[in-house]
Amino acid sequence: MSPETRRQSDILIHETAADFDPVLSANDLTVAYDAKPAIWDIDLQVPPGVLMGIVGPNGAGKSTFIKAALNLLPRAGGSILFFGKPYSQVRNRVGYVPQRDSVDWDFPTTVLDVVTMGLYHSLGWIRRPGRRERDLAMTALEQVKLQDFAGRQISQLSGGQQQRTFLARALVQDADLYFMDEPFAAVDALTESAILAILQELRTRGKTVVVVHHDLQTVADYFDWVALLNVSLVASGPVSEVFTDELIELTYGGRVNSLNPGSGGGVGAASSDSAPHGASL
Amino acid sequence: MMGSEAQAGISDRNVWIITGIAILILLLSLPLAVLFGVRFTYTLQTVTLGGALLGAVSGTVGSFAVLRKQSLLGDALSHAALPGVGIAFLVAGRQLWALLAGAAIAGLIGVWFINLVTRNTRIKQDTAMGIVLTGWFALGIGILAFIQQRPDASQAGLDSFIFGQAAAMVRSDLYTLAGVGAALILVIALAWKEFKLITFDPDFAAANGFPIRFITGLLLALLVMTVVLGLQLAGVVLMVGLLIAPGVAARQWTNKLGQMVVLAGVIGAASGGAGAVASALDRDLPTGPLIIVFAALFVLISIFFAPGRGMLWVWNLRRRNRTEHAADNVLKFVIEYGRSHNDPNKPVSSEFLEGVLGSSARRGIRELLLSGRLSADEDGYRLTPGETRDLPEGG
Amino acid sequence: MHAIERILVWLSLQVASLEQINAFFGSAQNTAIVLGALIALSGGMLGSFLLLRGMALTSDAISHTVLLGIVVAFMIMGAVGAIPDISSPWLLIGAAAAGVSTVVLTELLNSSGLLKQDAALGLVFPLLFALAVIFISRYVEDVHIDEDAVMVGEIGIAWANTNSHAFGDYETLVIDQNDPQAEISRRCVNCREEGISPRDPGAVFEELCTNCGEYSPAEAYRAGFSDEPPVLVFWPRSITVMLVLFLLTLGFVLLFFKELKLSTFDPGLARSLGFRPTLLLYVLMSLVSLVAVGAFEAVGSILVIGFFIIPAATAYLVTDHLGVMILLSGIIGSLSSAWGYQLARGRFLGLNLDRLVPGGWDTSISASIVVMMTMIFLATLMASPRYGLISGILRRYRRRREFNDQVILGHIYHHSGQEDQRSELEAGSLRVHVQWEQPVLDRVIQRIRSRGLVEIDEEGCFCLTEEGRKEVESFWQSGLARKAPPPRKRGQIRVSTRD
Repeated sequence: MSPETRRQSDILIHETAADFDPVLSANDLTVAYDAKPAIWDIDLQVPPGVLMGIVGPNGAGKSTFIKAALNLLPRAGGSILFFGKPYSQVRNRVGYVPQRDSVDWDFPTTVLDVVTMGLYHSLGWIRRPGRRERDLAMTALEQVKLQDFAGRQISQLSGGQQQRTFLARALVQDADLYFMDEPFAAVDALTESAILAILQELRTRGKTVVVVHHDLQTVADYFDWVALLNVSLVASGPVSEVFTDELIELTYGGRVNSLNPGSGGGVGAASSDSAPHGASL
Repeated sequence: MMGSEAQAGISDRNVWIITGIAILILLLSLPLAVLFGVRFTYTLQTVTLGGALLGAVSGTVGSFAVLRKQSLLGDALSHAALPGVGIAFLVAGRQLWALLAGAAIAGLIGVWFINLVTRNTRIKQDTAMGIVLTGWFALGIGILAFIQQRPDASQAGLDSFIFGQAAAMVRSDLYTLAGVGAALILVIALAWKEFKLITFDPDFAAANGFPIRFITGLLLALLVMTVVLGLQLAGVVLMVGLLIAPGVAARQWTNKLGQMVVLAGVIGAASGGAGAVASALDRDLPTGPLIIVFAALFVLISIFFAPGRGMLWVWNLRRRNRTEHAADNVLKFVIEYGRSHNDPNKPVSSEFLEGVLGSSARRGIRELLLSGRLSADEDGYRLTPGETRDLPEGG
Repeated sequence: MHAIERILVWLSLQVASLEQINAFFGSAQNTAIVLGALIALSGGMLGSFLLLRGMALTSDAISHTVLLGIVVAFMIMGAVGAIPDISSPWLLIGAAAAGVSTVVLTELLNSSGLLKQDAALGLVFPLLFALAVIFISRYVEDVHIDEDAVMVGEIGIAWANTNSHAFGDYETLVIDQNDPQAEISRRCVNCREEGISPRDPGAVFEELCTNCGEYSPAEAYRAGFSDEPPVLVFWPRSITVMLVLFLLTLGFVLLFFKELKLSTFDPGLARSLGFRPTLLLYVLMSLVSLVAVGAFEAVGSILVIGFFIIPAATAYLVTDHLGVMILLSGIIGSLSSAWGYQLARGRFLGLNLDRLVPGGWDTSISASIVVMMTMIFLATLMASPRYGLISGILRRYRRRREFNDQVILGHIYHHSGQEDQRSELEAGSLRVHVQWEQPVLDRVIQRIRSRGLVEIDEEGCFCLTEEGRKEVESFWQSGLARKAPPPRKRGQIRVSTRD
């Protein structure tokens, strides 16, 4: 252990070789469920101000990556730094949109209330949200165009509205980096474009957005940065350079193009059980 | 999930309705009881107050158990508390605080064991709860049976922890109940937003840096304390009912967590008080079970009659939707019929309508006649003059 | 029931003498243990399926509700003037119907969408149990049911509640007028009317038998017709009930084993094959209810849950085969009932607990049986070779160690030959990359170096030996990291954002 790597009292800071100042940098990250790797030795740097998609087959560890980044899962090895610091020091700068079906929508609460939850942490113990917090939450609701639904019970929302509620809850935190777990899952086309517009608006304001995504056909349209993940990182970088047929085949175990099986080679015998929709890629 | 229309009936007014019902039941039970010859003795006053206090506390705390889908954990906990009571008696004698402490410790060991087994083996949570429920309970029964065959008579009243025995309650128990109950409710009030957040979305709470383990542990501790408080009155078997029922009933009347929790407290208090008074009607009536019956009565009323969510409400709405649909079909048909015969006022016979649209046509016709959109004469039905000739939307 | 019991007695007479049977069931201990074992055997079979279906707590709900069924049945019997009898088939069926209706009621509540499954269960059974307790304390008096019985049952006195069956040369002795032992007296038929004396020649006589009729063997012996003492089998009633229920359960499980197994693990497939899994489920629930009723008198309405769940859960910790699991749970349950009886009487593992306490050790038998089950469960939980805590901890420790090796090996494999090889693989900086505690890392490195998988090259960097490379690749191909591309870094593109 060389002394210059030891910046904080107990936290080892990993130097990265990227030629940008990454907002998110995963270094040799390994996450395992009971000694079964879900993510294997990933090195990933995300530059500021991009809209990034994490793409890969089912069980590739996409959601695991986000959860490990947010300390929701223990790491078997490696580190993740946000703005050069560990997560616990920069919580306020990171927003999180979990998968929509991770909560019980029959919970007795209103849309405004759910959005206000995004501010609970900044309030500290015992203090209750007041007028200021409500106003902030209303502003966030206006951003996702749900201001007319503020008083509504959350089970009365459509899937798309629920997703936008979660989005507003993250927006109200006014973070610099957002993690979103499948925000486009099971929403109608209209909602999808509305959500996309919000994400693009975030990008123009200089925020970074990391999105777990499953629809290969829209990747090129939606994102400007992409990470191809299948337990280990296949590639990451600008969409134009990374989102190529060869690398996609490699990610999906060579099963995307059925005319040319296994051209990605390697251990591709372990076939993907979720052939992606974009078979023509 | 309910449609948005179905829940349109839920408003703050509901809360006042059901609060009114609860208070009314509690208040009515007093003169009614007097009418039936109950004398409000010192004991009965104590028991009634005790029942109401316990109901209020367990309704409040139990609401979170209901929302966290941990209803049956309350059951496992209360059964698991029994050996603690027995061992505490053997060690410290018949001291209430010792018995309660023993019960709490045994309950917590039970929960710890359930977690241990569920996390580390292939056994699922429901099985683990079943094992703790019966295993601990059997140990408790064994210890109590052992105590009872001892020569000294000081064990009297230990039985009450099984079925609950209100008569064993004295004024000082009441103070304990009030003091501890107030403390529990104060904790809920202080950690309100934390409890709310981890109940709704624990992952988000963890990502935001809330100490999840501490907060869930705190909620669990509240649950254990409540169960322990209730054992003497409701007994190990029935305690779970008192925890769950008020929360479930309250949930049907409101869509706001705050209202639900307060309402559950009110319903719990009403059930506890009314059950205690009712048990005085006859010497043989046990208090704990009667409290449960009252609480269940509230649930029954709620799931049938609560505006917006209740079954009657939903059935009525469904019927109305069907009627509207049938009316639309009839109207559409009559207009089409007029158009195809180039005579908007051509009458249609009811036989013809029923033949084409099926038996639901009659329901639609009745609705249209009632609302004046259709008029009838001996030739059949035709549109009323002022009625729009445009096709109704939808369908 | 009586006819079935006679058959059972006859069958057991084929293997044992009458004296043996009477001596056996004349002992409280034997009767209690056999009864406990029968409950455990039936409960173990049913409990195994419940557990695997994730319905363990349904037995909880059913056993509580069954009490209400029993109490109501008692009240009805009392109202129509019949003697309440817990072994009456009508009571069995009625109470079992109450049990099944809990399941239906819970399903109904649940399907309303107004409350969750757990809350529905947590509501229904306390309510029905509360009603039962109210009825017991209010209406059921002087009957063989009180709060103590509800809690722990009376397995200890099951031996005293018997039916007697006579078996011998004859079942009944018929004495008619021609029998030499018949006592014949003569009576004048017309003496009174005609006012004549019996000695009068006109008197008409009839012969009257004073002791004719049917005699049970005991009566015949008492009346002196038979020199042999009566041959009676005293048969505990609860044994019959539980034995019938056990045979019923056994028959059902044996006959429908294949269907039950399939509908437990894959209800969808079972339905598509035409096996009617819902029907099977309800038969299963009916049997659970029947066993709960049958066991009520012996072990009460709460402890019986232990008979359903605990032995099955114990067996589940040991085996993966359904058949073995059922068999094992039966064995565990039967052993528990034998050892549990001993425990209640103060004998445990050869120790005499009587000396521990003044006044002697004496406690509830049924509770002790369940405590014994729990102890066996705890022991299995600790020591089970495949699914126990200790073996689990050891296995996890071993796997974690192997996995730690793989993390380092994979890291080296990953970065070998890359442009960042120097910075990533330099011996002194490895800790920065994996972020482990230094001692852990040192141990891992020492281990993989001693296994010859890793060397330090002249630049001070780690590199894999040929074996090391094979080790990594076989780890990947062995299915641990299935669906993954080869971990060799390929196409890792690092381009500047702003070009």
